[in-house]
Amino acid sequence: MKQYEWLLTRYPTRRAALLPTLRLAESDFGELGVPEMRYVADLMEIPPAFVFGVVTFYTHYRRAGTGKFHIQVCSTLSCALRGSEDVVSRITERLGIHPGETTPCGHFTLSKVECLGSCDTAPMLQCNDDYHEDLSLEDVDQLIEQLRAEAEGGQNG
Amino acid sequence: MAENQTNDGTVAMTRWQLNGQEVENPTGMTIMEAAKDHGIEIPCFCYHPGLSIAGNCRICMVESNRSPKPVISCSEKIADGLVIETESELAVSSRNSVMEFQLINHPLDCPVCDKSGECTLQDHSYEHGPDRSRFVEDKNIRHTKELGPTISIWGNRCIVCTRCVRFCDEISGTSELCIVERGDRSVVDVFPEIPIDNQLAGNTVDICPVGALISHDFKYEARVWNMDRKDSVCGGCSRGCNIEVETLDGFVKRLMPRENLEVNDWWMCDEGRYGWRHLYADDRLSQATRDGTALEDDSATAALEQLLSESGPVAFLIDPYLTCEEMHLVQGLAASRPGSIVGGWLPDDGDAANFPSGFKISAAKYPNRSGAEHIFGAQVFGDDAKELQKSLLSSDFPTVVAFCGGHLSTGPGESWAKALSSTPTSIIFSVKTGPWLEGASLVLPATAPIEKDGTWINEDGRLQRTRSCWNPGTEPFSVELVRLQTLQNALDIRGRSLSAAGIFRELAAANDSFAGHNHSDLGSPGLLLAERPAGIAMDGGSE
Amino acid sequence: MTFRKILTQHIAEADCHTLNFYQRNGGYSQAKKSLNEHQPDDLIELVKAANLRGRGGAGFPTGVKWSFVPKSSDKPKYLVVNADESEPGTFKDRVIMEKNPHLLLEGILICCKAVNIQTAYIYIRGEFVFATQRLQQAIDEAYEAGILGSDCLGSGLHIDVTVHRGAGAYICGEETGMLTSLEGDRGQPKLKPPFPAIEGVFGCPTVVNNVETLANLPYILEIGAEAYCAIGPEKSPGPKLFCVSGHVENPGTFELPMGIPLRALIDEHAGGVWKGRKLKAVIPGGSSAHVLTAEECDVAMDIESLSAAGTMLGSAGVIVMDDSTCMVDALVNLMRFYHHESCGQCTPCREGTGWLEKIVHRIAHGDGRMEDLDLVLDVCDRMVGKTICALADAAAFPAQSIVTKFQDDFVAAIQNGGSPAWKKRHPSAVGGTASHG
Repeated sequence: MKQYEWLLTRYPTRRAALLPTLRLAESDFGELGVPEMRYVADLMEIPPAFVFGVVTFYTHYRRAGTGKFHIQVCSTLSCALRGSEDVVSRITERLGIHPGETTPCGHFTLSKVECLGSCDTAPMLQCNDDYHEDLSLEDVDQLIEQLRAEAEGGQNG
Repeated sequence: MAENQTNDGTVAMTRWQLNGQEVENPTGMTIMEAAKDHGIEIPCFCYHPGLSIAGNCRICMVESNRSPKPVISCSEKIADGLVIETESELAVSSRNSVMEFQLINHPLDCPVCDKSGECTLQDHSYEHGPDRSRFVEDKNIRHTKELGPTISIWGNRCIVCTRCVRFCDEISGTSELCIVERGDRSVVDVFPEIPIDNQLAGNTVDICPVGALISHDFKYEARVWNMDRKDSVCGGCSRGCNIEVETLDGFVKRLMPRENLEVNDWWMCDEGRYGWRHLYADDRLSQATRDGTALEDDSATAALEQLLSESGPVAFLIDPYLTCEEMHLVQGLAASRPGSIVGGWLPDDGDAANFPSGFKISAAKYPNRSGAEHIFGAQVFGDDAKELQKSLLSSDFPTVVAFCGGHLSTGPGESWAKALSSTPTSIIFSVKTGPWLEGASLVLPATAPIEKDGTWINEDGRLQRTRSCWNPGTEPFSVELVRLQTLQNALDIRGRSLSAAGIFRELAAANDSFAGHNHSDLGSPGLLLAERPAGIAMDGGSE
Repeated sequence: MTFRKILTQHIAEADCHTLNFYQRNGGYSQAKKSLNEHQPDDLIELVKAANLRGRGGAGFPTGVKWSFVPKSSDKPKYLVVNADESEPGTFKDRVIMEKNPHLLLEGILICCKAVNIQTAYIYIRGEFVFATQRLQQAIDEAYEAGILGSDCLGSGLHIDVTVHRGAGAYICGEETGMLTSLEGDRGQPKLKPPFPAIEGVFGCPTVVNNVETLANLPYILEIGAEAYCAIGPEKSPGPKLFCVSGHVENPGTFELPMGIPLRALIDEHAGGVWKGRKLKAVIPGGSSAHVLTAEECDVAMDIESLSAAGTMLGSAGVIVMDDSTCMVDALVNLMRFYHHESCGQCTPCREGTGWLEKIVHRIAHGDGRMEDLDLVLDVCDRMVGKTICALADAAAFPAQSIVTKFQDDFVAAIQNGGSPAWKKRHPSAVGGTASHG
């Protein structure tokens, strides 16, 4: 809440703080589902429908039902030219999900996304906040293993 | 001072060129609005004079000398030296291109779409669109769902003009609608769990340029080209919103608002809009009865004549739904029976509402209190009414003629019902059946507000024409305007029967408040009672 | 004068992003001078004289843009830094923000002084989390050191900088889309006029400048307009970050003078076409720029030269394609991008971007018809110049140039049952010249 109060001091209108406040909610609540959007709308006294329109316009908010690890493989031209499709196929092979799907255990969601601004390190992907660049298929295998361990470790720990 | 007013109070004008003609318009107008003044209608989807400018449909593009690219005429303002072409190759091809783009993903729903026949997309497509499609791909799919209790959306038809979203933001101020997603996945939606449910929601269906927003009230009810249309006024409250009444085979199918910038802008409230179903409800009174026995319509009039010819002074209880013309006839009757008095009943106030755009709903849920006060005096619903009720309860009057109109199932209320039943001979005109009819000597079916032909005065003092939803000759029973005149004929008060317009002329001659007014000059928008018409209208509305 | 890197000279150092490092190497001395000694009008004239062209893609003269802001307006003025960097093939602003954030902050201060701005927002794309952290760190350091906030660098001026994260939308790189997003809405571009300099964010005069543009300002103050104009061609001078990606040995960001020949950029700096293959096509300025065939690559990388060659410098995102590339597949990829990124507001873009993707997708998948080529070009014509913003044009340009210049690839796909990649994945599909009407 303190962060929210601080945000309000940075903008001349309350509404301008909407996008960063949604980020706060995303981080605090883990995702932006219907209750979370309602919470932000009520907190900021903005019509809920307006907030809904905003959240669905953008692609980078973490929506309800997203797996613990959101694997977003860049698929625009520069990455496609350097094998992004093979990266996607490999992940599908290893995790058993296609782009747009989430594993039944809820640990992984796979998406194909547009240019992430890292074309010189193609092919690459973003997993939650982190960029994983210059990917070979071995790198992909390694990353999946790492994430699996983290996901399952988290469950048992 | 208005934007285009000069220092000496005159309106500043801008000289520009439109399709080769030098023209002039008040400074500050948009090209689209200014072109209208010169008879040029530039097509639009997203533009609406009552809403903010969106500029997203792009169909109003025209060629301008100020820009290599076509400009949208809904937002570009006229300027000195501006040269605009609406029919140049660039303008026409831009318009045709937009039309083609609008149609490529549009479903071929016309045969099953309610909007057919009043659809802007159909109309503009006919004028400006291709006559065949080059699109061989799979069309986009978007949701079909209920947005609220009265409205659904067929998302495949939505052209994302945002009129409905702007309406809920700017006019009703309730902001329940939004556009979700992006690109050609965009469509109108509501927040999950929060349906669109404001008092003005029905207007969004009117302004939707396509058949995306569908009204539950009107869904699949009628093809618009089969319906008859009359310009009329809503009788739901004293705002007197101007409406269109649409009927099919004599039955009301839909009410729509009419533009009147002095009264209701382009809008009407849902209560008024959907407030016609009571006409056909189970508690509608359709049969005249004499002491409980059913009567044919002619016999009912005969009974009325018989009861009043034998009476002395008569008490008249009027309602605020009667037209000025009907009230004038009541006054004539009262005058013919010395000692008669007139009082009126009012339903309790409902909820008023004020909306951000300035649109109002009145707490007074009846259309013509003002008319009654001008005809019977300011106290007709006040002291006069109190006195009348007292008299009736003490059985001071042997006969009462009561008008119990309107749409409420409570009628005139308990105390008036008691007063009526305390009177030896009670003659009651009623729209609905209800407890106030108990023990009545003669019960006559009455017209509901949209079945009346005549005038009402709204809460601003505006005299407006209401036109019956029935075509002449197809009334299911003798309307009050006719029955009361037939009665007057029989009682030798009147020589011949007149139309509502004729009755109004009588009223204007007899009552200073109405002097100088006539039906023709009221036309469609009506006139303030205090304003006198300029002269004989050459193009006046129908009588 | 030999070319000196000023944007990326220290990026190999471990602490290059810190305030300490920046100040040790003379950082903020230009801003200090500007804030304390220069007059706003003089700064604007200087930047005009230096011919600094916007580095975001449009190449608009920066000094001229600043001069549009009405001086007499009593509304607060804003600077919004365009750090949205979403143009495919572009990754240069990220380098500055991650490795040299203080250079950006110094540029911001100079701009604020020139246009009397007290509040600046850095609109950074939501995906750039690391860059955001680096920026925020730099800003925190600057506030603590009295470089931002009240009495900036002892000047008595109050200047605030706030980082504002986007949330995934290419259209927010369009200046008015960015402003609408900053105001807390869907990032849909606004009608122009009014232009942002007159009525931008929050209804107030706003300057929108790219990260790299602002990063050039301290250098301009240091060496003066004349010397700056001597770096590269006079009409579009200065050091430039070129991004090279795709089928090259050494993809990366290269700081070089404006005007470097494209061939030199690819062969000498980016290691040339990879795997010993031959060059087929180059997109010189981010995906929205018209493509160049291998034969057309004898061109200098500056705004005027590329414009004369029928394309543009744009965001300087050079995407190199070797002769194994099927241009049909490349175009499908780009059309999918624009289709996905269209905000959906206006009809020609919303419907046109979708239509274009569907047509070229169908060609790639073996269901193309010869008339589809003319259809694509016609749809493009109907989109260009008819929309609220330039995304429709940005989608149309690659479609127009790739279909026209690489017609053979399209004809082959139409006649042979699809693109090579499609046929590899679907070897059993029966192809051939489609028998559509």
